[in-house]
Amino acid sequence: MTHTLHRRGDRENLSGDYIVFTMSAKGFNEEGSAEKMKKFLKILLKYHPVNFGDMITGNCYVKSAEEIWHNINTTSIIHAVFTDEVTVSKILRELRARDLGLSVVVTGIHETTEECCQEAGLQKHTVEHSMGIFGDLNRLPEEAVLQLSTMCGHAMVPANLVLRMVKEIKKEKKSFQDAALELTKPCHCGIYNPARAEKLLRRLVPLMTYDS
Amino acid sequence: MKIDAEKCVGCGKCASYCTMRGSIMSFGRNPKNPAKIYAVIDEKECVECCVCLRSGVCQQEALYQPELSWPRIVRKNFSDPLKIHPETRIPGRGTEEMKTNEVTGRFKRGFYGAALEMGRPGVGAWFRDVEKAAMALASLGVAFEENNPVTKLMTDRKTGQINPEVLEEKVLSAIIEFLIPQEKLPTLLEALKKIAEKIDTVFSGDIISRVEKDGSISYLKVFQEGSRFLSITGKSNVGLGRPKYRED
Repeated sequence: MTHTLHRRGDRENLSGDYIVFTMSAKGFNEEGSAEKMKKFLKILLKYHPVNFGDMITGNCYVKSAEEIWHNINTTSIIHAVFTDEVTVSKILRELRARDLGLSVVVTGIHETTEECCQEAGLQKHTVEHSMGIFGDLNRLPEEAVLQLSTMCGHAMVPANLVLRMVKEIKKEKKSFQDAALELTKPCHCGIYNPARAEKLLRRLVPLMTYDS
Repeated sequence: MKIDAEKCVGCGKCASYCTMRGSIMSFGRNPKNPAKIYAVIDEKECVECCVCLRSGVCQQEALYQPELSWPRIVRKNFSDPLKIHPETRIPGRGTEEMKTNEVTGRFKRGFYGAALEMGRPGVGAWFRDVEKAAMALASLGVAFEENNPVTKLMTDRKTGQINPEVLEEKVLSAIIEFLIPQEKLPTLLEALKKIAEKIDTVFSGDIISRVEKDGSISYLKVFQEGSRFLSITGKSNVGLGRPKYRED
């Protein structure tokens, strides 16, 4: 499962995009993991994520924090999205101190997350990179649209919806912020970054035209 | 996914929530009342991801998910991340892969984990294309991930052949996960180019490694030497899980 891996963008706009998440290892440390994941989520919420959620229940723009927290079970995957590396360093430091015993993964620019780990006194154990997209690339939407749609790794944010949001902003039916939130909702896991989406829309909308 | 022709008013708003790029919809006209149009989903192209239904965009409640039987149920299993695969016991399309590696020891030094996610991003893939990729990988002698939903559909893991009953099923994406010895990475990278030429879709590739004892990542050199693309972002397991897997 690679749901946070293939986010597209340039160094500048990816520098405000970090996800911290946890899950249990089935058959190894499942027992008691639901309570640990509840503690994990409580820790992360102290740092004011721009989005969070659990694959079991949904993201915080669709479900309440209480419902997400209450439904956590051993098959949950708890995610939260942050926009700066200083916060990520603090979170990793606290998670190391709390020692919940569950695996923790951080997604972001590798050089930066390496610095975050060092500041937290951690060493990366296993890493993963995207090798990019192969095949019939003519089937893909424009790169600017992809940067918005690939923030949901399960492809729940359709390119069609990105284009509709562009149109609605141009028609002044939606603000940039509201359009970003509309794109955030279908991404069930809570890994979509609405703050980055708003910035990307502000860059994309002036460049696009639509046939009225 | 289907649309109730009696309830649908033909507004077309649901098309924005279709994960298949462009439109997989057409419009029908009620023969009894020619002024009334309704939307029709091309069932051959629909991957049963449920995004349109979950969005709540249809105020007429005309969208509905019919009971899916084999082999069409495969579409939902691979496209709707809320569906927990019985094989992996996790929601989503793949496995825990590197996310719990310090506990499971799935990826050891000397080997790389790799995956091709067929149909990603947002194009979708027919299982006939998934099979082409799987067979090309099998010919390299890769070890397919035991607990992966695509592997479970293989009738022969030595050849990568997939159950013929599902070859004409389309999914939002399907992940082929496997292990290769480190020294085979250049061969794999060449094979990816050939796979890309054979298929009628796209795929996203990823590579996984244990961090070396000196903190380095051994595959970076291979990508740099070949001037190949590698993302600046990615995932890092920071080693906090327990019990720790003990590598010999």
